Amino acid sequence: MLSIKNLTASINGTPVLMGIDLEMKAGEIHAIMGPNGSGKSTLGKVLAGHPSYEVTGGEVLFEGQNLFDLQPDARARAGIFLGFQHPIEVPGVSNASFLRLAYNKKAEAEGRDELDPLEFDDFIHEKIKLVAMKEEFLDRSLNEGFSGGEKKRNEILQMAVLEPKLAILDELDSGLDIDAMRVLGDAVNRLQRPDRALLIITHFPRILETIHPQFVHVLSGGRILKSAGKELAVELEERGYDWVLEEAAAGGLR
Amino acid sequence: MTLAVTTSFIAELLGRPRPAEWEKLREAAEARLAGRELPTTADEDWKYTDLKVLGGISFGPSPRATVDLSGHLLPEMVGTRQVFVNGHHAPHASCVSSVPAGVRFLPLSIASEACHSLGSLGNGEEKGLFEDLNTARFEDGAVILVPRNMKVALPLHLLFITKADTPIAVFPRVLVVLQRGAELELVEEHHGEGTYLSCPVVEVRVGEGAILRHERVQRESDEAFHLGMLKAEVAKGGQYHSRTLSFGGRLSRQQPWVRLAEGSEASLDGLALLEGHQVADTHSFLLHAEPHATSRQLHKCIVDGKARTIFNGQILVAPRAQGTDARQQSRNLLLSESARVDTKPQLEIYADDVKCSHGATVGQLDPEELFYLQSRGLNADDARNLLTYGFAGDVLNRIPVASLRRSLRHLVMARTQADSLGDLS
Repeated sequence: MLSIKNLTASINGTPVLMGIDLEMKAGEIHAIMGPNGSGKSTLGKVLAGHPSYEVTGGEVLFEGQNLFDLQPDARARAGIFLGFQHPIEVPGVSNASFLRLAYNKKAEAEGRDELDPLEFDDFIHEKIKLVAMKEEFLDRSLNEGFSGGEKKRNEILQMAVLEPKLAILDELDSGLDIDAMRVLGDAVNRLQRPDRALLIITHFPRILETIHPQFVHVLSGGRILKSAGKELAVELEERGYDWVLEEAAAGGLR
Repeated sequence: MTLAVTTSFIAELLGRPRPAEWEKLREAAEARLAGRELPTTADEDWKYTDLKVLGGISFGPSPRATVDLSGHLLPEMVGTRQVFVNGHHAPHASCVSSVPAGVRFLPLSIASEACHSLGSLGNGEEKGLFEDLNTARFEDGAVILVPRNMKVALPLHLLFITKADTPIAVFPRVLVVLQRGAELELVEEHHGEGTYLSCPVVEVRVGEGAILRHERVQRESDEAFHLGMLKAEVAKGGQYHSRTLSFGGRLSRQQPWVRLAEGSEASLDGLALLEGHQVADTHSFLLHAEPHATSRQLHKCIVDGKARTIFNGQILVAPRAQGTDARQQSRNLLLSESARVDTKPQLEIYADDVKCSHGATVGQLDPEELFYLQSRGLNADDARNLLTYGFAGDVLNRIPVASLRRSLRHLVMARTQADSLGDLS
């Protein structure tokens, strides 16, 4: 589904991704882990098309299509979803009407029927149960005045509404208490399907107690230093990141 | 030369016959106007708002006219409306059948005995030129009097419509008095077509513990000039909440002046949506005269084309106004390279135990916000339009009268090209 080859990117002329290789197939869950400032969030933003980053080399194919031929909105309509670490507040636009707008733009692109406000009302009331969101958050302005946890809930709600093929969740667990993390982790698990791939970007291994990746990658200094199975997450939980960095340095990677 | 033209401008307006009522007030205003000229941009208060163009237009007296009210009526206020056309009361267009007994909601022309406070607000401050012009020549207006402890359930609607085949000047006048503990919701709208000058003066007295919510909608014609004055005095523990929404006018100026007594509250919000060559100016003055009063001011402008907006927000905290809590924010969204914003907070604080803050932002849409919306599948244009709408929608969503809120949302959606995005409420 996703094939990243030797991807390099920079921001304001400063290189931040130094050659990333990653292959993801439908149905797989991958975790990208790493210390702060390692470039994990950058990878998510570059894949989603954030305008501040310049892709300086390499290739990314999404379902065989060159991702960099597509604007951010076209990537979203093609099935890429980025759950933001810090979701943006948009005053003046209600959450429900924004969700319906996003849903209908995607439906339109896929040639499906758009939903009118009444139909969407039924649809969304099923979806909010999944993330245990209170109804009042539908009527409020998009993310405005939401707590960190409520914003994350809203991100997963958007994922449930947009049904992406590839979901990239950037620091889903930041700002969440244990209970909220479990609710959202469970929601993500229930959304996982054989035709969907998940990329979990996280600093702390904690979220991986609920969402179980088959593949774990450690990213630091803009490179993937180590890739392994889910046992790597356990090891990182116990030992931190330093040993991976040292191992990589000894191997001449740094 | 300028002097000759401007002198004749005021003299010409005063040249029309003086209406019979309110003789003393009018004489006093005329005396103050003697020898006055239109302000120029050399005057600090009018630095960015050039009135020269006014001097070149001859505004005649305003004839009575009939108008089509469809499109102006709001369902909540069908039976609580007073309509004025070209400054004259329009009895057949008005309907006050739902106004509760005890509330006076009358044209000034038949309510003179109730209006001893007309022209008396403002703490003995110097009166503005356009305020005096209004006092000297207003034809009619409205009086609203809500007796003690009466909470009026239905909003009242004041509709000022101007229809000018040739340039005319109108001087709408409003006096609102809420006695102790009274509550009222008031919608004041200004509409029109053609070239005209409208100089409304609205005087508000909010009694002890009384609450007035005041929506002010300026939808004058594209060729109109609107120079409005609002004066409000809020007594102890009273609340005055106003929202001024400016969409029309070639040149408009809003001058709210609010005096806060002990423990009172005011919010003074504004939204201006400008395009083409429109100029919209807001010069506000908030006087924290006594202790423990709270004021909130959020002023938002969306400026497109070669339009220009001016905000001058003065807050004065008097020496005895300890415990004042004042917050002011001016936020401006520029949609074109040639749009222009001049914003200036002006805080004068003479008390030491106060919380005062102010802030001003002028800018384009935030790229992070655009990216967020695009990452959900909205194309760049839709994302821009949605954010622009949201910037205004934030103010509109707080309008308590549902039909007014809806109609202004549609207006703003059309102006921000967000109407293709469906219902965003």
